[in-house]
Amino acid sequence: MQLRDKSEAGQFIVLAEMEPPKGVDINKFTANAIRVKEQVDAFVVPEMNSAVMRMSSLGASLILQHKGLPTVMQVNCRDRNRLALQADLLAAGASGVENIMAVTGEDPSFGDHHEASAVYDIDLIRLLSTIQGMAKGKDMAGVDLIGAPSFFCGSTVNANVRGKALQLEIEEMERKIEAGARFFVTPPVFDMADLDEFLQKAPRDKIKILPTVLLLKSVGMARYIDRHSDHVSVGQGLIKRIMTASDKARECAQIAADTIAAAKQAGMDGVAIATLGWEHMLPQVLNLKPTESLDTRQDDPNTSWGKHAGGK
Amino acid sequence: MIVASPKPIEEVINTVKDCKKLLILGCNECVTVCEAGGKKEVGILASALRMYFAKQGQQILIEERTLERQCDHEYLEEIRDIADTYDAILSLACGVGVQFTAEKYLSTVVLPGVNTCFLGATEERGLWTERCQACGSCVLASTGGICPVSRCAKRVLNGPCGGSTKGKCEISKEVDCAWQLIVDRLTALGKMDEYEQIAPLKDWSTDRAGGPRKVAKEDVQS
Repeated sequence: MQLRDKSEAGQFIVLAEMEPPKGVDINKFTANAIRVKEQVDAFVVPEMNSAVMRMSSLGASLILQHKGLPTVMQVNCRDRNRLALQADLLAAGASGVENIMAVTGEDPSFGDHHEASAVYDIDLIRLLSTIQGMAKGKDMAGVDLIGAPSFFCGSTVNANVRGKALQLEIEEMERKIEAGARFFVTPPVFDMADLDEFLQKAPRDKIKILPTVLLLKSVGMARYIDRHSDHVSVGQGLIKRIMTASDKARECAQIAADTIAAAKQAGMDGVAIATLGWEHMLPQVLNLKPTESLDTRQDDPNTSWGKHAGGK
Repeated sequence: MIVASPKPIEEVINTVKDCKKLLILGCNECVTVCEAGGKKEVGILASALRMYFAKQGQQILIEERTLERQCDHEYLEEIRDIADTYDAILSLACGVGVQFTAEKYLSTVVLPGVNTCFLGATEERGLWTERCQACGSCVLASTGGICPVSRCAKRVLNGPCGGSTKGKCEISKEVDCAWQLIVDRLTALGKMDEYEQIAPLKDWSTDRAGGPRKVAKEDVQS
């Protein structure tokens, strides 16, 4: 079932991020995707996440499409001007890509080519409305297209912010919806209750919200995110879980599997699984049974996991 | 004004080391205000170079001059009689001044002594910050007088990107999020309805996208 159909049918969506290779060896990239193709509705192919140079999302998406794997091709405002963006969207549309995720793109200073110049010819709202316009058969100059691409289009929303910033985020989200976004991927969420305030304000009837389920890789990573990320909280409970586990990698996969289960239980529209280069762990994440003691942990005030399993 | 900062002395030494006779040429305008290339800085740089080359046992005659402007023919004419007596002119003006001097005195090497940085304002003594990127199509009327082109790292024109945190930009906690400033200002002015309007598609042809630019005011041309 196509992602758009599944979304319209109200079924739980599972997206998995597949980081394109930094190089031309695509063996692991395709093998990792093929291993989980039955459990994943579409593979999100990032466009140089964190401004780290890799194979383009268009190229990597086509590689997966040719293997019969549906993709969500990411496009960003950072690397291309309006000509190149539209050109790539036409190439994608003609080659079978049906889903697009439009993002602004992180500043090049975050990546491995610090001195690169960013483009930002058009902003995200414009990019989304351009995609919408192209579906109606016109390019940005108003010239007719010979064959219009039809994309199921999404974007990101910083659902974890609070207060005044959340109000701005919701307003921005409304603009993105008006510009054609139909699904929104959030930053990593480890406790679905963290989304409560956002979900109360978000226009859920119009769109699908997919929390990012981030596969932690180590206690260090969990601690780092918890301490340094402004809007993402891992929680001491999960950090302790990884710390005390004998097989830490497996425990991290188990946590991701539990988070997916919690998202389902919380009535989310789906999840977007991000493994940041650990795509070989996807089978574990998707096949491990959720921890059975979810309900007992719910009452443990010492763990964020307790809240996590609350299933609101 | 145009804000510049002095080039590292090592870089300057490397560019002038083969000269026998050097003119350090300051400018009385922007670079004087931002304390990078006025009469005072000309003097300081000249002294530093003289000391360096004396220590090296190298003979270089270094002279000083500061013009009212280096971006106008009339002021540059003031050095016509001496320009070709130097092996090089080290201009402490902005990139405009350096180029205009070079265009005027074709037989003399003209070197830059400062890095031209941006169009900015003096926030306090010794601190200059960017306010304008001369995009050629000003949007300040709809953004509460705060420029998203120069002050947003991503030049976003329709509200903040996802990297805005507690009023700061994702590139640095020291940098204000321009869109937070715009929203705060529009709120204070009771003009948040303007924020709701999607900005018209930005025409970058008036920016660098259209190649080197010029402004012509025909009624004052002779």
